[in-house]
Amino acid sequence: MKKRSHLTCLTLAATISSLLLTGCSSTSDSDGKTEIRMIQYKPEAVAAFEEIEERFNATHDDIVLKIESPNEAMTILKTRLIKEDYPDIVGIGGDINYSNFLDAELFMDISDFDGISDIKPSYMQIEKDLEFIPQDGVYALPYVANCAGILYNKDMFEENGWEIPTTWTEFTDLCETIQSSGQLPLYFGYKDTWTTLAPWNALAVGLADADICSQVNAGNATFAEGYAEVADKMKKLLDYAEPNPYAYSYNDACTAFARGESAMYPIGSYAVPQILSVNPDMNIDSFTFPANENESDNVLNSGVDLQFSVMKECENKEAAYEVLRFLYDDETIQIYLDNQNAVPCKQGDFELPSMLDGMKSYIEADRMSDFHDHHYPSEMSVDAMIQTYLMDESDNAAETFLNRFDKEWNRYNRDLIEKVKKYEEGLK
Amino acid sequence: MSSERHSVPQPPAVHFKSADEIKNDKDSKSNILLTIILILGCLTILFPLYMTIVIAFKSPSEMTNDVAGALSLPKSFSLDNFAEAMRVTDFWHSLGNSVLITGATIVLALVIHSMAGYAIGRSMARHKGFKFIYFYIVSGMFVPFAILMMPLVKETAKLNIDNMFGVIILYVVFYMPMNVMLYSGYLKNIPLAMEEAAEIDGASTWKTYLKIIFPMMKPMHATVAVLTALGTWNDVMTPLVIMSGSEKTTLPLAQLNFQTQFGTNYNLAFASYLLALIPILIFYILCQKQIIGGIANGAVKG
Amino acid sequence: MKGIRKKRKPMSKRTKTLLLMTLPALILFVLFNTIPLITGAFYSLTNYRGYGSYDFVGLRNFADLFQDSRVGKSYLFTFKYAIAGTILVNVLSLLIAMGLNSKIKFKNTLRGMYFLPNILGGLVVGYIFSFIFTYIIPTVAKALHIDFLSNSILASEKWAWVGVLIVGVWQTVAMNTIIYISGLQTIPADIYEASAIDGAGKWYTFRKLTLPLLLPFISTNLILSTKNMLMVFDQIMSLTKGGPAQSTESISYLIYRNGMDGGQFGFQSANAVVFFVVIVAISVFQLVMTNKKEEQL
Repeated sequence: MKKRSHLTCLTLAATISSLLLTGCSSTSDSDGKTEIRMIQYKPEAVAAFEEIEERFNATHDDIVLKIESPNEAMTILKTRLIKEDYPDIVGIGGDINYSNFLDAELFMDISDFDGISDIKPSYMQIEKDLEFIPQDGVYALPYVANCAGILYNKDMFEENGWEIPTTWTEFTDLCETIQSSGQLPLYFGYKDTWTTLAPWNALAVGLADADICSQVNAGNATFAEGYAEVADKMKKLLDYAEPNPYAYSYNDACTAFARGESAMYPIGSYAVPQILSVNPDMNIDSFTFPANENESDNVLNSGVDLQFSVMKECENKEAAYEVLRFLYDDETIQIYLDNQNAVPCKQGDFELPSMLDGMKSYIEADRMSDFHDHHYPSEMSVDAMIQTYLMDESDNAAETFLNRFDKEWNRYNRDLIEKVKKYEEGLK
Repeated sequence: MSSERHSVPQPPAVHFKSADEIKNDKDSKSNILLTIILILGCLTILFPLYMTIVIAFKSPSEMTNDVAGALSLPKSFSLDNFAEAMRVTDFWHSLGNSVLITGATIVLALVIHSMAGYAIGRSMARHKGFKFIYFYIVSGMFVPFAILMMPLVKETAKLNIDNMFGVIILYVVFYMPMNVMLYSGYLKNIPLAMEEAAEIDGASTWKTYLKIIFPMMKPMHATVAVLTALGTWNDVMTPLVIMSGSEKTTLPLAQLNFQTQFGTNYNLAFASYLLALIPILIFYILCQKQIIGGIANGAVKG
Repeated sequence: MKGIRKKRKPMSKRTKTLLLMTLPALILFVLFNTIPLITGAFYSLTNYRGYGSYDFVGLRNFADLFQDSRVGKSYLFTFKYAIAGTILVNVLSLLIAMGLNSKIKFKNTLRGMYFLPNILGGLVVGYIFSFIFTYIIPTVAKALHIDFLSNSILASEKWAWVGVLIVGVWQTVAMNTIIYISGLQTIPADIYEASAIDGAGKWYTFRKLTLPLLLPFISTNLILSTKNMLMVFDQIMSLTKGGPAQSTESISYLIYRNGMDGGQFGFQSANAVVFFVVIVAISVFQLVMTNKKEEQL
């Protein structure tokens, strides 16, 4: 009998409801074969996963793989968890959702999976850093990553003879050159608050410690110090963008950039398909955000876009491993890469999408750091806080914002900070 | 608490004329000024509708941010977007499921809600218990869905109704407060005389309800049907969280295909929304006739 | 007359039958509204994320709620929006309903037209109105030198709520119009005839005849529109997502976004419980007021 921890409700009515609710759900195997059910959260990659599923089932007699790629997958995944109708493998993003799921003890330790050694260590480290409390074992396998920095209009740059900037000063100089030529350097879609995080993350990886959130949780740092320069530079960027960027959405910004209204667009590689849908012939390339005065201090903002975890409830670990082995086959990875613009997390010789040319050297040199917002609790709405800060025109706006950041961080992470404290005390 | 207005006996079978008819009697000329004002008001609807239609015909590469470009006609009026939208959403299947869900919800609502609305509406003035039931049910309208969502997901799964049937049942519950309120409010304007006459003749309450009240509430049935359909037809959340285990999909669920985290195909989406709009619009126009013509027909029978 | 109608006997056969008639509704309601509500309310005493294990935190969530400036701001926004919206929706829908109910040309087409806003999906409404506010209105305003409107009002911390309100009213009016139209049908035409014979003016007829007879529908519509406006969610999702500068975060938006998408299910359940109590109090007040009015007549 499984322990049903959250059915032990105390109130009378909850007891009534739990009486109603204690049924039993069973997963049926089809014709004696082992069934492995997987949910992955990127509906845009449905074609790739359909092909992967088909190939797997054609080559395996004893295992049936079923991959679902639903819309609103995270909502659906959460409802499955509520129903206790667990899939065997989940394909999700390497963000705070993963940290929370892991913290809720939903995943299985897969450190004995033989493919781990083929995965780039930097991405394994990114996964490790997502753990609230350092865990023994491996709970996630990074599959593909995305990168964020600055997308630029290659044709515009070539026509005007503009150089790719590598330091902050070069960058601001370039923006001023572009401005004086009567064109717009940057375009923002800040009406959609989440887009503020694109330049924010890209600056933060270069200017702040990668583990600043854990440092704050442990009481060893404050955001007021750690993010001061990031906040400052975020505001400077406004000088080079369209006036009143809060009026324009992500979609507006993609369209504007596609139509050549700006030379650059600080966003991630994920925006490329939307831009190309408006202007299929556009030449887009990208470069790492030059956040520092020293090129060697710059770091590429890259995080895990898709990773696989095996659920604790999975009854056929071997079959699940077989599926993972198949997924990490070079050929399978190439199917995915051909379908989506992505950076594979497995070591090897894969062809990178051309719009990542400018970031290639960083990827190859493993000079990468995760999106900081992957560590922010989503209910804290840091994106909205950044938008509020950018709109605040008073002199002490940065101070107000950073103090609020620290204050709210402590409130939203109260339980977590306590947990971390307990853990650290246990270590001593 | 007085129920005086209800109990004033009115001569049964007065010839009710709707406001439409009376105006006809007075002056058969239509009010041109009013027509013009209403048409002007319609512009606030026609303009967005125009934009929707234009975008539905364009291709993604015709999308721009400048006003003239956005309002210009598409390069061609080909139906490709509509065909593609129908393919992506598996239109006929999704439509079938949506019609089934909305249709079944309406039928159940008309039966269950009108019955409850009648019972409550006729007795709440006299009976504290019914008054309590009335407020109890109506208060259900104000429960934020987000708090119910997770418990409902669990409950429907355990009862094995995490499917279309469960969605229908939930809709019947979600629209119960509004519909009960509408039915019992409507009854306030229907005189008790006919029911009393029937009861004196020895008819049971059931019979009175079925033979006299139910037909007489036809305009309200039509109103309830339209309002319930309005709520269910475009709803994404309930089927999304309740039916997440089944393969079945409704139109709004299928329309999520046009949106991913980092990109939206507005052209296909708009074409699909226009297609989804047609059935419900036809349904409304059919019901509207019942709302208008209803009271005169219903009343004369008594 | 009164004496005959009032049945004081414990439970007449008729009462029993009437109770039986409410039973199917009551059972469903208890099962799928009250029980999940109580279960949800139970979570407001925990730090439940929506999955996994949780701890009891007592009344901490409620204590937090009253100190959370974001929640406070969302209440201010929601009530400002709901008051303005309820008034606008009811005045407009009553006017439109009376217009559509008069002798006019293209009656059915017009009725169909006014119904449309309510069935356009959120994606369409969001895109079209964002475009209107962001591009069309500023372009027109610049041409006419109206400074006030030369920037998108959706990007103004001060005025974005008005943008959301315009769209909210535009969409909701259809529903209340339908209810008013069916209400107008219940008014027997004879009454108008009589008042016309008496030589009463139009305004007088409206005030003394139409309005009182419409009261049950006005009270229904008031409650429905108050509820719709207080629970504003769709328009926020499609137009502003709570921005700019968190100025349009409604209570429902917070409950949904942080409770479902975020990991604050317990805290937002507390928020939902408080919100529920507040709206019920408002609606009961409304009901009592309109009932009193009805009884005076």
